[in-house]
Amino acid sequence: MSSSDGHAHNPNLAHHFDTIEKQDYAARLGMWLFLGTEVLLFAGLFLGYTVYRHFYHDAFHHCSRALNIGLGTINTLVLITSSLFVALAYWGVKVGRIKLALGMLVLTILCAAGFLFIKYLEYSHKFHVGELPGKWFRAEELMKYPGANMYFTIYFLTTGLHAFHVIVGMSVLIWVGLRIWKGKYTPDYYVPVELGALYWHLVDLVWIFLFPLLYLI
Amino acid sequence: MADATTQAAHSKAGHHDHGTKRYFIVWGILLICTVLTVWTGYKDLGSLNLPLALVIATFKATLVILFFMHMTESAATNRIVFVTSFVFMLVMIFGVFGDLWTRSQMSLPNHVPSTEGPEIPVFEGGSLPPPGHHE
Repeated sequence: MSSSDGHAHNPNLAHHFDTIEKQDYAARLGMWLFLGTEVLLFAGLFLGYTVYRHFYHDAFHHCSRALNIGLGTINTLVLITSSLFVALAYWGVKVGRIKLALGMLVLTILCAAGFLFIKYLEYSHKFHVGELPGKWFRAEELMKYPGANMYFTIYFLTTGLHAFHVIVGMSVLIWVGLRIWKGKYTPDYYVPVELGALYWHLVDLVWIFLFPLLYLI
Repeated sequence: MADATTQAAHSKAGHHDHGTKRYFIVWGILLICTVLTVWTGYKDLGSLNLPLALVIATFKATLVILFFMHMTESAATNRIVFVTSFVFMLVMIFGVFGDLWTRSQMSLPNHVPSTEGPEIPVFEGGSLPPPGHHE
């Protein structure tokens, strides 16, 4: 009896769940299922990469030298550090250190913005020198390698989809941050923070593979 | 506020507060691995470059999944779901790669069939045997 009363008064429990544990379980499973589909989404692009790299091995090697490894490395470090910050933000909410969590989340979002800014620098340079996908490719010195335009097609598709995920992840974290600020999350209820952090780690995860495959071949 | 439900939720999810130390350790290892993969990327190791880069990336990804994403603590269903997606990604990539590796050259428009190798069977009379014919 006391248990069912408790549920009625818990504002975080949706009416179609028996208990908060079941709700958390379902939310986590749903998120992991979604992350699984995200892995498969990027798998298609990694497969495209595999096929075209096999056919145009030399072009891929020479085109990867046209990327800025310095900026790519900095972006990798920025993203890994942002993963640390979001893990600390999650931990902060979980143990009730809300201010620390908010600070860490702000740092995470700043890292995300920094990543996008560096990506913008890289993209604008490529637009400038004509290292572009498919028929827009007009980089003279790489023309002699057949398939060079396919490298940049793959480059823009993979990094573009990844950058889109960075933007989505940023938006999710801003939303989570605002709700932490309003005091919605406590050590008793922090699953949305956890799921937002999981999404952000996936963004990091994809980049961990993209970076060596695009920049260091 | 501390009703039976939240108490239960606490004892279930909150008892493994391990502090922040492990996050910093994982972060440090990830930074070292990033520097390592860039360093080896500059070196010409021939055909070893790609496998080495993939091994380092997989190691980094495993650390992120296990500790940043807390897969060590998550429910078995969640582990199965996520690991399964990777299994299917590998099936897809290696399935296609098997084809690429063994027979993609034949499908290229400029491919000249070898007269020595066994790849194109040549039959007497210059045509393929009739359907159902077995040697």
